[in-house]
Amino acid sequence: MTNSMSNVGRINTLMGKNFSLIDAKIIDQYQVSYVLKKDDIHRALSVLKSNGFRQLSYLSCVDWPNDHEIEMVYIVMNWDEALHIQLHARIDRDNPVMDSILPIYPGAKYYEREAHEFFGVAFPGNPDYDKQLILEGWDDIPPMRKDFDPRAYSDKKFTKRDPKENFEVTDKTSKRPRQERREERANNLRTGGKK
Amino acid sequence: MNSTRFTERNKEEIDRKWWEIGDYFRRNSLWMLMYCTGCCAIELPPAMTSVYDMERLGMGPMATPRQADVLLVTGYLSLKTLRRLIYTYEQMSEPKYVVGFGSCTINGGIYHDSHAVINRLDQYIPVDVYVAGCMPNTESVMNGFVDLMDLMKSKKADGWKRYHTNYEWYRENQIAALGEVKVHDEFHE
Repeated sequence: MTNSMSNVGRINTLMGKNFSLIDAKIIDQYQVSYVLKKDDIHRALSVLKSNGFRQLSYLSCVDWPNDHEIEMVYIVMNWDEALHIQLHARIDRDNPVMDSILPIYPGAKYYEREAHEFFGVAFPGNPDYDKQLILEGWDDIPPMRKDFDPRAYSDKKFTKRDPKENFEVTDKTSKRPRQERREERANNLRTGGKK
Repeated sequence: MNSTRFTERNKEEIDRKWWEIGDYFRRNSLWMLMYCTGCCAIELPPAMTSVYDMERLGMGPMATPRQADVLLVTGYLSLKTLRRLIYTYEQMSEPKYVVGFGSCTINGGIYHDSHAVINRLDQYIPVDVYVAGCMPNTESVMNGFVDLMDLMKSKKADGWKRYHTNYEWYRENQIAALGEVKVHDEFHE
């Protein structure tokens, strides 16, 4: 078992030597985060995969509407060193296109479909990135974009139950006998008829 | 031997009596189909096992929709699940009853403003009994089942008849929410 901190150092030098990093952050001894340019992502992922990061743990997006950008997040993991690496890259929000990483990590297929469904990112290179996966017959902008209003959509699409306006007690007679009957019934259920 | 001749009225009377008998046996031996969509399903294990022992009310779990009498919808329904639920409900043989669990089936509960979760279940399939609460405790779940039996006895649990008479209305609501009820599933096509 090698020392975890030296693993981080090794990855840091590897990444710093090969790529122009916009930002690098060591979160703790098990997690490192790098911000790269969009074009470097594929090369970085292949380099990491050949260095033991065999598993793509997650692929997702973050929406930044004020910057007009969508941030892609790739998390890869190394089983031998217990190390997670996050790769971030920002792409254009109005025309979000990111080449698929299917040749490097075949398991990305469904993550990319999900990202397309919820954020509207296109993944050329993945043959069925635009097939529906979770939302069936979706008819609005992708729902995880920040400018999507779930409440307005829900109000428009689903029938609501109108809350009662008047909560006055209409029956002013004592509820005691009814409560007793209900308690007896509940007791009966609890004990199976036994006292 | 004389052949028995049924007049129209006589036939109705006999039908009614057979329904009485059928209902008596049916309400004392209910087979449930549990569509465990949400967290309320966690109330079923204590109701079914030795703590509350549902078997003594004559209720038991059933594996397939075609053999079941009661459909338990335990919790929120996303559009994707609703589509499957309608399939399941329509497969069940009649008479069939629906019990809605928790506030999610009543008015959407904590998911009332979600883009994917329906608000009122009774717009899409008829519901006979609601068990309110988020989540309901096991006593009220059992109470709901007893209520269902009472309703069957007094012939008020007629959701499946309402589904026939108001089928157009239900179908309209289903289409409005789902677009298309048919399931397109890439794994089975």
